Amino acid sequence: MLAALVAATCASLALGAVDIPVSGVIDTLLGKQVPEVTRNIIEILRLPRTVEAILVGAALGVAGACLQGALNNPLASPDVIGVTGGAGFGAMLVILLYPSSIALLPVSALFFGLFAATMVFIIGFTGRGGGNITRVILAGIAVASLFSAGTAAIMAAYPDRVPNGIYFLVGGLTTSGWDTLETVWPYLAVGFVLAAFMIRPLDRLMLGDDVAASLGSRPRLIRLTAALAAAVLASAAASIAGLLAFLGLVIPHLIRLLGGTKSHVFVIPVSALAGAALLTAGDTLARTIAAPVEMPVGPFLVLLGVPLFLWLLRKAA
Amino acid sequence: MAFGRGSVEFDEAAPLLEARDVRVTIGGEDILASASLTLGRGELLAVVGPNGAGKSTFARAFCGLRRPDGGEVLWKGVPLARLRGRQLARVRAYVPQRAQVPTGVTVEAAVRIGRSTHLKPLQGLTAEDRAVVEESIARARMQGFEDRDLSTLSGGEMQRVQIAIALAQGAPVLVADEPTAQLDLGATAAISKMLRELVAAGMGVVLIVHDLALAAAIADRVVVMSHGRSIATGTPNEVLTSQLIGDVWGVEAELVHREGRSALHVEWLDDH
Repeated sequence: MLAALVAATCASLALGAVDIPVSGVIDTLLGKQVPEVTRNIIEILRLPRTVEAILVGAALGVAGACLQGALNNPLASPDVIGVTGGAGFGAMLVILLYPSSIALLPVSALFFGLFAATMVFIIGFTGRGGGNITRVILAGIAVASLFSAGTAAIMAAYPDRVPNGIYFLVGGLTTSGWDTLETVWPYLAVGFVLAAFMIRPLDRLMLGDDVAASLGSRPRLIRLTAALAAAVLASAAASIAGLLAFLGLVIPHLIRLLGGTKSHVFVIPVSALAGAALLTAGDTLARTIAAPVEMPVGPFLVLLGVPLFLWLLRKAA
Repeated sequence: MAFGRGSVEFDEAAPLLEARDVRVTIGGEDILASASLTLGRGELLAVVGPNGAGKSTFARAFCGLRRPDGGEVLWKGVPLARLRGRQLARVRAYVPQRAQVPTGVTVEAAVRIGRSTHLKPLQGLTAEDRAVVEESIARARMQGFEDRDLSTLSGGEMQRVQIAIALAQGAPVLVADEPTAQLDLGATAAISKMLRELVAAGMGVVLIVHDLALAAAIADRVVVMSHGRSIATGTPNEVLTSQLIGDVWGVEAELVHREGRSALHVEWLDDH
């Protein structure tokens, strides 16, 4: 998986409107003497985008693995805790109502993604019987519908501006330099660190709440923390690359099917690598296959990923 | 989630477990009114009683899985409330009545999870931890099953894995809630022998069990519970009299011991 990620990264940096040999890429990254044009293409255009692809892919893979473990439900993805609906609303709010402040898009998507998740957590985890998985999932679906309705409402009010938002809704990376990452990286960092600390507690949770509790963990707190990590990662990912939540659903399943184990010690780190590799490779393909037209990577990955996923699903059963 | 900060001083001279007048209230009603027990080293204590007497609630309360609403619980002399999750996990292991059986987890992976109480959050297993995992699997007689998926095991094998997970914690006390309730005769006998071996090795075992004949055969002492109270404690012969069985279970029955075997002679139908 690591090799796949390295290969995808090299391809992502080398291929594009101008193909640069891998040796040229390496020379640039090592700070050796290379033509000015090459340096500019790699450092200003491709490197930020590749780094974004790696981080977003890893974030979505980890978010999906954390959520599926926390909610003990194979259908869990960032959708079910409201993140996707919230982030979509936040983005469309800026794109449709305040197009002049388009720079605020990532912040708004991040904020509303986390806001929606917070609503779900408050409803799902507090009060009597809080932390019940069904309650969390139902709360998530309800909150997601709320924000989807909000998105639909503003889209209906400004139909002429809707095309500007499509790229975000279907999910895709853009060549926008380091600006978004500079805002969002602390959230990604917090999410990854939280997720790393949840690996072992999630493994305990697999053996049941009673066993986890007798081993000294608090099942409700594990669920909340792991879901929080997922919310932060998925919101940050959405603020960079739009709604790619499908990746979060599918990658952990791919990893479990391929690896033959559900142990989070394996699933979480490998989902990070696989998510990063898949999104980086997918983005490279999406922007080179019909060059100079760039396809949004979201639908592109779905087109490639779904047949593979369905095939594995059949094979595993 | 507790990371084991704040040290506690266990009193090695104190009983492994002392529970006094433990009370649990749910919705204003006493599910457990007043239950007590004391467990020493190298002792197998059976908690017996009819369904709904509060046996499992009592076990969950003194194991720290449900906060007691009254009474006192001391683990090696330290009050339960002062023990963090990790510290508690080092002094007692708990095998729940109905364990969740996940797919995609091997026996060895499950037992390793039991050992995780000894590790810092991001730390891997040391050679010593691996040795303990291997030994726990052996003590639970599950060698050769290490790579089997949990979902492929029989009821008896799964129960032994649960015990192996508990043993990997390296705690001096094992609390098992009805480990043999779903098992056939052979599997029940195997678990019983295993529990006696653990006791012979110095562990304290609390067994929640409703099978009186089994309790009488393998327990050093029994605690009888009825309507949320512990009403009698002592050796099986002292306590499990026909009088008490009649009072608590409402059944005419007599416990018969002969040459290390035990049987409950029950008058199933009051027709003579």
